[in-house]
Amino acid sequence: MKALLKQKEFSVLAIVIIICVILSFVSPVFLTVGNWMDILEGNTVIGILAIGMTLIIITSDIDVSVAALTTAVAVSIGFMFQYLPDSWFSVVLIFLIAPLIGMLLGAFNGILVSKIQIPAIVVTLGTLNIFSGLVLYFTNGNYINSTQFPQSFMAFSNIEILGIPILIYLFALVAVSTWFILKYTLIGRSVLAIGGNAQSSTRVGINFKKVKMFVFTYMGFLGGVAAIAQTSYTTAVDPNGLMGLELTVIAAVVLGGANIHGGRGSIPGTLLGVLLLAIMQNGMILARIDTFWQNVVTGAIIVIAVSYDEINHRRNQAKLANIDVKEAS
Amino acid sequence: MRKLWLSLVVVLGLILAAGCVSEESAGSGGDEEADGAEETDNTSEEGNTEEAESDDELEIAVVPKLVGIPYFNASETGAEQAGEDLGVNVEYTGPTEADAAAQVKVIEDLISQDVDAIAVAPNDPASVEPVLKKAKENDIHVMDWDTPADKELVDLSVKQVDDEEFGRHMAEKLVEAMGTEEGEIAILTGGLSAANLNSWIDAAQSELDENYPDIEIVSDKIPTDEKQQVAYQKTLDLLKSYPDLKGVLAVSTPAPLGAAQAVQEKGLQDEVSVVGSALPTDSEPFLEDGSLDTAVLWNPEQLGYLTVALGKMLAEGEMPEDGQEIEGVGEITVEDDGKTVIMAPPQDYTKENASEFDF
Amino acid sequence: MTNIKLSKESVLGLIALAIFVGLSLFTPGFLSSGNINSMMFQLPEFGLIALGMMVVIITGGIDLSITYIAAFSGVGAALMMTNGFGIFPAIIVGIIFALACGAFNGVVVSKIGVPPILVTLGTMVLFEGVILAITNGNAISGFPDAYSLIGNGYYLGIVPFSLVIFFVFTIITGLLLNKSTWGRRVYMYGSNDLATLFSGVKNSKVLMKVYLYASLLAAVSAIIMTSRYNSVKVDLGSSYLLQSVAAAVLGGTNIHGGYGKVMGTIYAVLIFQFIRNGLNLMGVHSSLVDVVIGAILIAVLTLNFFSDKLSRQKAKAAS
Repeated sequence: MKALLKQKEFSVLAIVIIICVILSFVSPVFLTVGNWMDILEGNTVIGILAIGMTLIIITSDIDVSVAALTTAVAVSIGFMFQYLPDSWFSVVLIFLIAPLIGMLLGAFNGILVSKIQIPAIVVTLGTLNIFSGLVLYFTNGNYINSTQFPQSFMAFSNIEILGIPILIYLFALVAVSTWFILKYTLIGRSVLAIGGNAQSSTRVGINFKKVKMFVFTYMGFLGGVAAIAQTSYTTAVDPNGLMGLELTVIAAVVLGGANIHGGRGSIPGTLLGVLLLAIMQNGMILARIDTFWQNVVTGAIIVIAVSYDEINHRRNQAKLANIDVKEAS
Repeated sequence: MRKLWLSLVVVLGLILAAGCVSEESAGSGGDEEADGAEETDNTSEEGNTEEAESDDELEIAVVPKLVGIPYFNASETGAEQAGEDLGVNVEYTGPTEADAAAQVKVIEDLISQDVDAIAVAPNDPASVEPVLKKAKENDIHVMDWDTPADKELVDLSVKQVDDEEFGRHMAEKLVEAMGTEEGEIAILTGGLSAANLNSWIDAAQSELDENYPDIEIVSDKIPTDEKQQVAYQKTLDLLKSYPDLKGVLAVSTPAPLGAAQAVQEKGLQDEVSVVGSALPTDSEPFLEDGSLDTAVLWNPEQLGYLTVALGKMLAEGEMPEDGQEIEGVGEITVEDDGKTVIMAPPQDYTKENASEFDF
Repeated sequence: MTNIKLSKESVLGLIALAIFVGLSLFTPGFLSSGNINSMMFQLPEFGLIALGMMVVIITGGIDLSITYIAAFSGVGAALMMTNGFGIFPAIIVGIIFALACGAFNGVVVSKIGVPPILVTLGTMVLFEGVILAITNGNAISGFPDAYSLIGNGYYLGIVPFSLVIFFVFTIITGLLLNKSTWGRRVYMYGSNDLATLFSGVKNSKVLMKVYLYASLLAAVSAIIMTSRYNSVKVDLGSSYLLQSVAAAVLGGTNIHGGYGKVMGTIYAVLIFQFIRNGLNLMGVHSSLVDVVIGAILIAVLTLNFFSDKLSRQKAKAAS
């Protein structure tokens, strides 16, 4: 099992290491603590969303509404900030309300996917249009900047423990608890089982609809958390700021070895996928790559990574047949 | 098979229905061309009577590059204010993304609504050419604002500032903020394919080349996807990658905010100067502590106001003159070609004056 | 079996018709000749991309790079024309550019076997990057006048020429999918790729052609767009990407593959066109137009679900 697990994330890990080695030769700043803090903090939002997306992709669905959902929550936060008093209580309240709003929106996706059985990509395409359309209609795209934020929230976003920004702790907390849920709880195991083989898992008594409902609601919950992270990272709410981020999130998850056909995918893999995209972004300027070629490099690396992963995966499949469920865990 | 036929019949029905109507229009269009002057006289007369009936309410359409960003919201406010003041009906509408194809559709729909004048801020000047021609064929006055369209085509071109002057002005402001005429600087841009941003950057670069040869631009202009957090991350990377960086020129409205945020967080307000094009309310938090030195822009509300005011003049058959005083805007400059109107010189927003503006 | 039951597509056609009639009655100017005319000009470019997307979706895949293929192809044609070549060589080069992209997608999907969504996610960024590197982000414009007739001219003085092109490709797509061996294999592959393979079909060949065909449609759309807008830029038609997926699935195409009809997609494209245009004419805020489109997408599929359920119950009761 252990060896297998390593195999699965091996390809992306290898690519991450290769790029790291190259970058540390090219740029002396790359391997500094400060740079890594920046990378991690800067990718907290993508990371949190990617973790939620991993569960959805494991159950062979997809959610393209995540960025719109997160923006909707962020805008609600910005709206509430105008009425909240300046005290630590406001921060706690935001941490309760934001995930709740996210869960409601996510549950809306979940109901349509599980009860009405509309394919997830269609549902979320629809809700992507609905969420972002409504957000733009109500905000008119206007920024809400930090002058309207309670000072306590600003203080929260500047907290550093042991020199590490609070957002990185938040990211780590989400990663570890989701990993725990997947590994040690009934519902988490059901997610993996359904991804492995939907039919046989329902035969052994797993409630298919409930699991679908769970993954989308959980995505919404994490969208709410990501909205807090985003707001505290940019210290402003920009209704257009996350536009198009859903594709980056999906790219990170699949780069991390999650299979869009379900069953395959893990939290460590996704984290590596996020890291790969992050260091590529970071490295472009550090390596002083010509602006106009940056997308060519990024695209090429994605194609190479997914092809390499697929070839690797096939080789393993050939060696070990019928490992669907076991492999995913 | 039966289903297939049924489907075919429905579609043919639709196409035929559409086809019949277009045949009529093609016919009447032909007449118009054939009868030439007479026909146009007729239409303009018709136009006049219609206007008289509807209480002289001219309909002026203002099309931004996209709706739902602060900059174009501010110009919407101005345009609508002008509509109230001047008694014209203002339709402010545009696509939700800065996409040329989507913008053309909006303009086509406006032509169908038979407005009196269309002012467009083209996402891609060449791509609106055909549709603007079509508007003119339908006796709609055509003008551009914010970003110029094809000069031959428009009746009037409203520019907020002179591009060359604006770019050079930003470069000067940056050098001024740096307090030195040598050192490394970087340039951030909203997107690599934005024509107006490119022309400002080109102007800024030539200003630096000509007058400040000891200033070195460290990399090609860096795109930030019109997003604050991208500009923030790129600036963080720049600061690490070029530790001697003295200044950042951030062009596009979210970019200076992101750049300033990075400078603010790293506490480099005194080492690194940031100058860029941003709205004063958004930049206030950064102007206060000096992480953003100067935001240079124009008054977008006034720009919207001016566009509508000039649109009204145009629809009434007047042309603006150089040095003319437009109420609510001020004195305008008209270039030698007689149809390029420049609103005002660039405005600087600094710590001292930023709070006086509400856009 | 014997009674005339309306297929999913016909229901959608009736919905399109109803929307058309409704908007004609309630929106002044919707039925004006000018407006009908401009809708006919707007339809083809989006319709072609939606058809291309549909063919890919029938195989259970998706092509996220399709709009960048179109832009790339437009850039190819534009470069030829601005360098003094004639219209025909330019169009040919445009098509070749697109086919090259399609072939790249096809090879990675069919030979290496990477899921299409991943491949095209990567190639989307890749093609965008290549276009940026070629054009430096600038627009290329200034085509011969004759070229602009493709997108702006009339056939026989009545029908927009681009609509005729669209019509022709609609029929070709329909024929290819329903009458050719390749078409049948596309559906077979979409419903069960393994079974198709075991019945002696070369899956990789079928798939390869699917991506080539989608890129061909993208190229045709690109030629119409560049001609209509007289220019090409890296984001040419980028707003059509998710819309085309939405149109295909609204048209009844099964996102998991195996089912999808040309007519359904056409009706969906018409519905989108009518609604966008009608709401714009009514002066509805453009963000709300997106909301309405999203809501319709979900509403129609919810309706489908309940009507399916109903007919299944009936079938059960009957048996």
